[in-house]
Amino acid sequence: MPDLPPLNSSALPYPDPMHPIIVHFVIAMVLFAFCCDVIGYFTHAPKLSNVSFWNMLVASIAIFFAIIVGQFEAGLAPTYPAVEAVLTRHQIIGWSLSVLVVGITAWRFVLRSSFASFEGATPEGATPSRSLFKIPPAYLGAATFLVVLVCLQVYLGSQLVWEYGLHVKPVVQAIEQGDIK
Amino acid sequence: MNQQLIDQLQQIGIRLGANGLPYSLPIHPNLVHLTLGLFIIAVLFDVAGTLFPLLKPVLKAFSIPALSSEFYDIGWYNLIAAVGVTFFTVAAGFFELLLANPPTDIKSDWGLGAGTTMLLHGVGGVLLLGVFAGMAVWRGFQRYRWRQGMRQQVQWSYLAVGTVMLGVLFVHGTLGAHLGGDFGLHNTAGNMVRQGENPNQLLQ
Repeated sequence: MPDLPPLNSSALPYPDPMHPIIVHFVIAMVLFAFCCDVIGYFTHAPKLSNVSFWNMLVASIAIFFAIIVGQFEAGLAPTYPAVEAVLTRHQIIGWSLSVLVVGITAWRFVLRSSFASFEGATPEGATPSRSLFKIPPAYLGAATFLVVLVCLQVYLGSQLVWEYGLHVKPVVQAIEQGDIK
Repeated sequence: MNQQLIDQLQQIGIRLGANGLPYSLPIHPNLVHLTLGLFIIAVLFDVAGTLFPLLKPVLKAFSIPALSSEFYDIGWYNLIAAVGVTFFTVAAGFFELLLANPPTDIKSDWGLGAGTTMLLHGVGGVLLLGVFAGMAVWRGFQRYRWRQGMRQQVQWSYLAVGTVMLGVLFVHGTLGAHLGGDFGLHNTAGNMVRQGENPNQLLQ
């Protein structure tokens, strides 16, 4: 086996944890897409509907990197027994979210196609009726569930860093010195 | 934060926990997810809208019908949301910065002490909020006045500033990461370790 790069004092082969950065693009995009959906639901604005779709598409791509890097950094993290329950829950919800985010984005894509607001999809010069852009309440229900689950996931992830101190130098140091038992 | 100040806060009903905050998890790093996610994607979609001809084959390969004007919509609405949320990000950041009790014997990966890093990150945050707000006004003028109806909704200079901002945010964000990750500010387990306590027993 080739030599792996040595780990630094944060127990990582690179300077700072990357998972908390990649998740920006899941958390912000899912929450903002939901805001656009709710506002769009009442105003029937086609623009907001598109903003929601593209943000969800970004979230769908980002979540795979978030999980891959997250599993990598979880695997490298020096831990102690009290962390395990929260870490396991964070991982289970993370994998579940990947299915949910991609599934809801796919649903969004189908809705978007049915809105038929694109070049060539409507007769020349015709403006599609605004009511066409109405999102079904069931979609909003699913998106609400997603937002709740994302918030729970953010809470658990925050606990891992800010409460338990995973990959936080002074805590990593204390674990490695055997001060946390 | 020294003991006298902590007592002062107690008098007005603010009780600080093991992490040095009156609540269990810091708020600033969570709002940062929103600020950075929204701002970075706003800039990238404005770039994508401008380089749209290059992207067309990719979108076609995935059978995703799209217009460049849609990409500019994301560039605009995400930026507005980023600015709105960043007022709260900076406010929460200042609250938590003022309550921080930084270690004096540690240097970050960049060779800076905790105090220097806190100053740079705090002042930088206010300046960045100003730049965000300025960019939103500039972007709004381009969208609704100067370039209304034009295929390219944003000026090259705007894209250049946006791209530079991504680099500035990387530096600024890394300083923030040092505060949390290297110095352990507001870290519950970190503070327990500093006090000689065992987080494995206290955080069961």
